[in-house]
Amino acid sequence: MLRSGALRLCPPGALRGPRGSASPPARESRPPPRSFASEAIRVDLSLPNPSWSKDMRLLFDQFMKKTEDGSWKRLPSYKYVSPQSTEVKTFFPDAKPVKGADMPQAQLFPRSLEEGRGFEYAMFHNHVENRTVCIFQGGPYLQGASGFLHGGAIATMMDSTLGACALRAGGVAMTANLNINFRRPIPLCSVVVINSQLDKVEGRKLFVSCNVQSVDGKTLHSEATSKKVPLCLFSLV
Amino acid sequence: MLRRGFQVAGRLSQHRVLPGVPQVLPRLILTSTFGSSTDSLVSRFCLEKTGLKDYALPNASWCPDMLSLYHELQEKTKTDGWVKLPSFKSNRDHIQGLKLPLGLAVPSDERDWRIFTRCIQVEGQGYEYVIFFHPSKKKSICLFQPGPYLEGAPGFAHGGSLAAMMDETFSKTAYLAGQGLLTVSLSIRFKHLIPVGSLAVLNVDVEKIEDQKVYMSCIAQSRDQQTVYAKCSGVFLQLQLENESPQ
Repeated sequence: MLRSGALRLCPPGALRGPRGSASPPARESRPPPRSFASEAIRVDLSLPNPSWSKDMRLLFDQFMKKTEDGSWKRLPSYKYVSPQSTEVKTFFPDAKPVKGADMPQAQLFPRSLEEGRGFEYAMFHNHVENRTVCIFQGGPYLQGASGFLHGGAIATMMDSTLGACALRAGGVAMTANLNINFRRPIPLCSVVVINSQLDKVEGRKLFVSCNVQSVDGKTLHSEATSKKVPLCLFSLV
Repeated sequence: MLRRGFQVAGRLSQHRVLPGVPQVLPRLILTSTFGSSTDSLVSRFCLEKTGLKDYALPNASWCPDMLSLYHELQEKTKTDGWVKLPSFKSNRDHIQGLKLPLGLAVPSDERDWRIFTRCIQVEGQGYEYVIFFHPSKKKSICLFQPGPYLEGAPGFAHGGSLAAMMDETFSKTAYLAGQGLLTVSLSIRFKHLIPVGSLAVLNVDVEKIEDQKVYMSCIAQSRDQQTVYAKCSGVFLQLQLENESPQ
């Protein structure tokens, strides 16, 4: 079985941003920041690599500047959803690491393709405004209509961004519904910005929405709304 | 390749092929009737192609449920008018000799492209699926088995992977039923998670074709129909492909 990328570590010099996540702001009233257990083998993929285009790097640098005053935070992203992570243990107490725990067979879907071929992205979260922004570069393996991104790939990225927004607002949440309007097709290998926000909270349900725009903000590619619910309200088989 | 993508993107905006807000795309077709019938679209789509690998065929990773349902449907291709759709690595291979309408075509290095639902080519790791289409009923059945590289919550398929499978099944159905080409909207209601490695059966129906759009619905459920994984409605825009200019 191919494990392409499983042992990949960022080559020295390829990283522009700080290693690991930015340090969380010291706010006594906030719950302790949720973070994945750090493991030596886990590589944070939300950092520049050689496949990132100029636009992608520029946007990344812009957002990294915003993290300097503590209002924005870069969200780390790993290939594997570790069953050891706090969120997973709370809501999937029976989740067991597959044999060969250091190298689980499963991979988080948006991180399972080779560098530059699929989803290249980084997310930033503003906890005051409850907004998450994702800069996304879709590679050649995400083709839909010839020359454009597949609607399902866009849906996956929107769902991931909306999920990150909901996670930071209210904890682990499952997607109950997802409604997307596509307005303009996104050319393959271009960069887009996904802006998501928390719209309202009803009990334990979170309503989030997002839009997908071109780098210059002039083109609106698509919009989505979604309802997220905690696991206990989302029945399992 | 990436640089060329940007040049192309610049060219697109320069030519204003994606005009202002209210309209999605320029009306390239003046009449609402489309020339090609479903039967002619299907026969062109399902040509016997040599040298192109068809990924919609059983392999060692298919679970017993998927295999047996596949064989049931294969029998129905002989008796009940169902057609098994081939599935190639790139969408370009499905429309050989045709191209997107002027203004949408993006000339670029295509050698590296893969259709999203065939992005992971290692057997059993990503999308394992096959779509059967019924030309006169305008229905599709997709057998979908998500692999471990499609994981979201541990042990279950990522919601985005199901959204993509639904969009892809809609896409092929809309094209063959009415030359639907681009997704206009998707509305998905998730009910249950799909365990990785198990079979989900997607049933797609064309509800109506009007106003240059193909309207479809989909229900994804377990084989015994006891568990509904998700329900979805999708709308696709009709666009006529053009013949590629002879070289």
